[in-house]
Amino acid sequence: MSTYFSRPDREEFGLCSHAMSVSEIIDFDDFSDIEIKKIAGYRKENNYELIIEMERIHLGFKFRGYVKGFTDEIEIFKFKRPDKLLVNNWQSWGPSKVIEKDFRLDFPDDLIQKFGFSVSIMPELYFDNLISDYYIASEHFLVGGLSSKVAHPYFQLDENEVSVKLRYFGIRFEQWQEIEPVVILFDDTDKVLPYYADLVAKENRVALSGKRLVGWSSWYQYFLDFDYEKMCTELENTRRRGYDVFQIDDAWEVDIGDWTPNSKFPSLEEVAAKIKEYGYVPGIWLAPFSVSETSTLFKEHPDWLVRGEDGNPRVAYENWNKRIYALDTTVPQALNWLANLFQNLKKCGFEYFKIDFLFAGAIQGKRLENVTPIQAYIQGITTIKKAVGDSFILGCGAPLLPSIGYVDGMRIGPDTAPYWDVSSSDIGYPNAYYSLRNALTRWFTNGIWWWNDPDCLMLRKSDTQLSDVQRELYTLTSLLLDNMIIQSDNLAYVMDDRLWSIVSEYRKYGRRKVHLSGIMSGQYNITSCGVDGCDSLFITDLEDCVFTYSKDTVDIELIKTVELKDDGRTFNYYNEK
Amino acid sequence: MMERRYNVLTDEWVMVSAFTQQRPTNPTTSCPLCVGGDEFSIPYDLASFDNRFPSMKVDAPEVESDSRLYKRARANGKCEVVVYTVEHNSAMSLMPTYQIEKLIKMWVDRYLELSLQPAIKYIFIFENRGAEVGATLSHPHGQLYAFPFLPKRIDAKMQSLTKYYDENKRCAICDVVENELATNERLIYENEGFIAFVPFYARWPYEVHVYPKRHISSLVEMNNSERSLLSKALKIVTMKYDLLFQQSFPYMMMLFQSPVNDVRYDHAFHFHIEFNPVKRDKNKIKWMASVETGTWAFINPKLPEEAAAELRSVEVVI
Ligand SMILES: [Zn+2]
Ligand SMILES: [Zn+2]
Repeated sequence: MSTYFSRPDREEFGLCSHAMSVSEIIDFDDFSDIEIKKIAGYRKENNYELIIEMERIHLGFKFRGYVKGFTDEIEIFKFKRPDKLLVNNWQSWGPSKVIEKDFRLDFPDDLIQKFGFSVSIMPELYFDNLISDYYIASEHFLVGGLSSKVAHPYFQLDENEVSVKLRYFGIRFEQWQEIEPVVILFDDTDKVLPYYADLVAKENRVALSGKRLVGWSSWYQYFLDFDYEKMCTELENTRRRGYDVFQIDDAWEVDIGDWTPNSKFPSLEEVAAKIKEYGYVPGIWLAPFSVSETSTLFKEHPDWLVRGEDGNPRVAYENWNKRIYALDTTVPQALNWLANLFQNLKKCGFEYFKIDFLFAGAIQGKRLENVTPIQAYIQGITTIKKAVGDSFILGCGAPLLPSIGYVDGMRIGPDTAPYWDVSSSDIGYPNAYYSLRNALTRWFTNGIWWWNDPDCLMLRKSDTQLSDVQRELYTLTSLLLDNMIIQSDNLAYVMDDRLWSIVSEYRKYGRRKVHLSGIMSGQYNITSCGVDGCDSLFITDLEDCVFTYSKDTVDIELIKTVELKDDGRTFNYYNEK
Repeated sequence: MMERRYNVLTDEWVMVSAFTQQRPTNPTTSCPLCVGGDEFSIPYDLASFDNRFPSMKVDAPEVESDSRLYKRARANGKCEVVVYTVEHNSAMSLMPTYQIEKLIKMWVDRYLELSLQPAIKYIFIFENRGAEVGATLSHPHGQLYAFPFLPKRIDAKMQSLTKYYDENKRCAICDVVENELATNERLIYENEGFIAFVPFYARWPYEVHVYPKRHISSLVEMNNSERSLLSKALKIVTMKYDLLFQQSFPYMMMLFQSPVNDVRYDHAFHFHIEFNPVKRDKNKIKWMASVETGTWAFINPKLPEEAAAELRSVEVVI
């Protein structure tokens, strides 16, 4: 066993010292184009060569480039650190938030080992440095990586400067290798964020499925205490609620890594068939890159796991009171196993896959093939996508940029919870408050990278510490942002029916066009337009749930009916109510 | 046969749709859009349906493209006929504004629904009115084309407007609106939400553009009161047209919105409507001839300020 976190071994990652250093610091509040042009050109370092090309694009500049040789890390350029910055964590649960100059990371020591790599793909840097992954934005500009297929684009902040870096984790390129493109975009944050998201989507050739789902999940009601009987009871209670999907969460499996039903469930065919009886798409949860120390998979295939420098399997994180290891997705047999696992689930009837703790597929360590953790991750997620075909994939606990183009939906915040705690640490721990904060600060990826999953709505009035107003704000935000809507309640409880009727109202028609402004101020103003007009939600104080919601006045109510003619043509009729 | 072919000389796509040749040029019998006609057996208020003779289809056949020179692509778009009303003898100029508001709501629904298809890149809503612009049916209707690519002139607009934005940090159309309101030389109508005017850069003698005063990039971003204001603007422009020469005025009405499945132009592109009428006088047509077609350069025989004055002086009451 190799526990990376109990004994952070800096030597192991001492390769960072090979990173080249760019001396000039650009001040984006006062610069000339010449300073930006200087970033481009040919550089020769001790171990590698680098070519960077600059292209002028709408709102700013794009850098493409090529690297050859042994590379641990490339610094592309440095810029003067503005006082206020929007920073972002690499995976679903991590915070995306605005920080001021005096911000200091406050991470409880006793959670470091448990969280493992979930906090960062570079835990050796994370706790002593300020890091933003993928993108960073001030009030007037944004710098961001357009892809993460080989390297990890990130920003290292010190007191006065921000260094723009691509981390390659010590890899040798014999041939010229294209680097991840980076853009600088100048405009108000609220304008550049969606624009940046779209550039990323185009770079990764995203063709987003039109499936915007409404569903039910077992997790935030039952957690691990869920079984087939409860499932059947809930299914009975779902009648007329208009869900698309019904998803069983963590609770059904023998162990993390042993993805067969435990004694609380019949066969998976039966589970899926039961859900289908009610007209829903059967959904299932699993953590495909995670392998628990107690699993049969761990015992039988220790050679399928990512290893530390000592050659022993490396702990990726701890959960379920167990050490969890990571599947080495460069081992052909492990990839086969992964493909079979998903093909089999699909054969059983599941067509919605919530795949969780995905960051485990991208931890640093030794793998069979000498690839970067990002390349390994992409091999894993590609295998899953291929196996499930056009079924819906919801990513969770996932590295954001490398998942683009592979998932249909994505959790974009920490787990929600039946409580709203504004005083706890902002570290990705379950909390409705931080969960909703991330839904707001990452709003701009929705419908562009994937459908954002702001995590489940809990509409029950008992068995929860959420207040009416917290529940209302959560629901309205998810709806106005046009996110995925998954409810997690025991449906026998008394519900906030008014909120559910608002959900049904909003989901009657197609997509919405959304804009959010105020990200840097923390006063979020959402304008959300649909067939019935433009509604707005202005959150002046998220902590205390102070907001104004205004719904557009609807004078004309059109009822749409759709007819499919014998010749295959569709007719849409619109009649007044 | 249905496919797209690439023109390597101009970097544009041509839609080849062989059966458009068989389309009826002159429907002799009853109107297909009236109840009891070819398309509708039951009464309706408004409707939008798949064109019987489309040049693009969502499930268009796969095409093979193996030539470097002659590229082909699937015509996987959509062509819909958008019927404004069941009243055969109506027109935008004759309809109650309330009916136009319903039409706008239907446009919004079509736009949002079609934008859920990842292959769709642009939704073009338009109306050809009058035989002079090739309309074969007089029943009030328009059409929409959902393109799987960005058509050439649309791309030109995006490029031009983003360039202006980069140079001036402003939306060009917001600036045009401000300018027209300030000079009042070319306005023909104005309400709280919209201006209608003959643009400085008009290509056609009586060309009229309708711009929202507020920066929005698509129909969808209008609130309900703006939809109502737009319906008034559309009604007034088309009424002025009909009254100008005391005849049913032929025009092409085109809605220009930001591309779908793409938000890159939202801040620089400003939703607008163009009316391109072909009449230069009561009995004279300005044709899209060699210069216009071959070079995309237009010679406008009418001073836009004069056209605006004429249209402004046409009194309409709604
Ligand atoms: Zn008719
Ligand atoms: Zn504008």
